This record gives sequence, C-alpha cells and structure tokens, in this order.
Amino acid sequence: MLILSIDTSATAASVALTEDNKLLGEFFINTDFTHSRTLLPMISNLLEIVGKSTSDVELLAVTTGPGSFTGVRIGVATVKGIAFGDDLPCMGVSTLESMAYNLILTDCVVCAAMDARRDQVYNAMFRIKYGEVERLCEDRAISLADLKSEISGKYNGEHIILVGDGAKLTMRELMDLKTSFIELAPEPLLYQRASSVAQCAKHKIKNGEEPKKSAELLPSYLRLSQAERERQEKLLNNN
Amino acid sequence: MEYIAKTLSDTEAFALRLAETLKGNETIALFGDLGAGKTTFVRYLCKALGITNGVHSPTFAIVNEYMGKFPVYHFDMYRITDEDDLYSTGYYDYLGKGLVIIEWSENIEDYLPKDALKLELRYGEEENTRIFKGKK
Repeated sequence: MLILSIDTSATAASVALTEDNKLLGEFFINTDFTHSRTLLPMISNLLEIVGKSTSDVELLAVTTGPGSFTGVRIGVATVKGIAFGDDLPCMGVSTLESMAYNLILTDCVVCAAMDARRDQVYNAMFRIKYGEVERLCEDRAISLADLKSEISGKYNGEHIILVGDGAKLTMRELMDLKTSFIELAPEPLLYQRASSVAQCAKHKIKNGEEPKKSAELLPSYLRLSQAERERQEKLLNNN
Repeated sequence: MEYIAKTLSDTEAFALRLAETLKGNETIALFGDLGAGKTTFVRYLCKALGITNGVHSPTFAIVNEYMGKFPVYHFDMYRITDEDDLYSTGYYDYLGKGLVIIEWSENIEDYLPKDALKLELRYGEEENTRIFKGKK
C-alpha cells in the first residue's frame, strides 16, 4: 500500500511516501517558511523524484492537530483536495501520537509537547514497549506547572523522553525534577515527521480503524480556554 | 512614559521615533476608545516603515498584512470576544514573525505576549490633543 503522509501542524513541515514497510522518500523542512507556499512543491517534488503520481497513492495520512491553527488547516485542506479527485481514503492522526512513533525503538514513556503559548503545552503521554505505542492519556492543553506535578507523581522513576516543539520549553520546567530520568529526543527525532505519521496511520488501520472519505476528515482543535477555565476552577476550589 | 501630541504632526513625529527603535519582531498592543487615534497612529507608524498605501483598520478582515522594511501584521480585536475566537484568527501564528500591531487590545489583554509594548491612547483637554501613555 502506498501512503502519502503530510504534516504541517507547526513550524516544521514534512511529506513522506511509504510503500508497505519501506520509506520511499521524505521531505522535511524546519524553517519559518509559510507552509501554504512550500507544501505543494514538496509533495510534487517528492512524487516526481520517486517516480510516483497521486493516482498511485492508496492512502493519505495527515496530522489533524493539535498544533498551529493555520498549519493544521493547511495540511487538512491540502489532503482533502488531493483525496477528492481520486476519491482516496484519508486517515487523520493526532500530531502528538504521531511523534511517539519517532521513538518506536526505545522502550520509554514519551511526553509529547507542543508549544501552546503562555506556559501551556498541548500534551499527551505514551508508553513504548517492544515496538508498540500505548496511549496513556487523551490529547489535552495543560499548563507546564500541572504537567510537572503529574510527571513527578504518576511517572515517578520512569525513563521519559520529550518530543515536540514544546519539548525544550518543557525540559526547562522539569530541569530540577530528579525523580525520573528525563531527556530530550535528539534533534532529528524531536519534531513531527511525515514518516511517523504514516506509521501511526498504519497502526490505526491494523487496529481496525476505518479510513475516512475526504469530506469526513476534520481538523481537531483543543479548546485552550476550556483547559484554562478548569484550571481556574481548580485554583478557586483550592483557595 | 507619556507623550502629549497636540497636533497630527506631533503624532507623526512620535510614530517616527518609535519606528526607529523597532527590529520587526515586536508586538505593539494599542488601547484606547473609538476615535482615540489608534488607526491614525498605525498609519504614521507604517509610513515610517515604508508602507504608504492601504493602511486601514481591519475591523472586518481582523488582520491586514503590509510589507515595508519588514512585514507588519495589523490586527483589530474589536470583534474578538474569547480565546477560541482569537485562536481562529491565526494570531498565535503571527507573533514574532513580523511587527504585530493590535488595536482593541482590551479584548485580548490576557493573551498578549509578556514582552508586548502596551500603549494607551487618550483624549487630552483640547480637541486635537492626544495622550500616549506606556502601560504595564
């Protein structure tokens, strides 16, 4: 099965073509260039250079969020457009979950964190064991302080690896936490990668999740304000 | 900081002085009532950065983009009432990518970057007098 996978959910952007278990090619950039200008040339260049066309593609995979509002929309809208022409099936995956696949060979707890501004991150936790990713909580918006107290309690003594564009931010917050072994993923594995998006999509299909039609594919935004309201309520209750 | 502009050319001089200090990645948050002169001030600021055409209040578009010495993103938050609204303008994607100038910052004060330059515009005693005041 030929998978075209795409991620534009934050500053980095990437496109990959995966055939069965083989990664045919991947285009990754991590600059401030606008994805609306770079994404389509990346896709057409990659297809051309590996000798494929969109009609060879059997599945489209894309990160549907969380992430930058504009970035997520560019990725999802582009995939919808490509899928619409040939009525191709689409698989949307969580940006955070896709990044856990960057570290698939390391048994550890993955703390995926994307910068949500004002000392908050979009975050989810995963456990990797024997090459399988297990989700430990839902995607959420959480303050760095709350994440820190959760990690010092629930993940006491674990080997935790941070990924995502909020990983360095989170690392600074967790620096003085001595109860777990916490480290940053190496730079080439730190950000969203389209090749990981394809792995994540394949895993979902293996587990029985049905791909969607292009019209059914939707971005999923996390409601920051809701997380904030909950936090404020919690603070009020504590006082 | 407080600056009293008695005429439009005083406002222009103030905008020019501010423009000279900018690197192009700042956020300027403007506060002030209808008619306080926010858009006029933005127009002069943009003029000092080499943007002479098309600067107007983006009340309906929410954000206007101009290209001068560096990119300028001109927001009007008059119709933005909560953070979901704000997120859906792409606001967070613009911060740090150019000079971000925000009118009606009152509506999004909790969501301004920590290092935003906050500037309040008020009416003075005379009809044409305007007072610019740095805000904490």
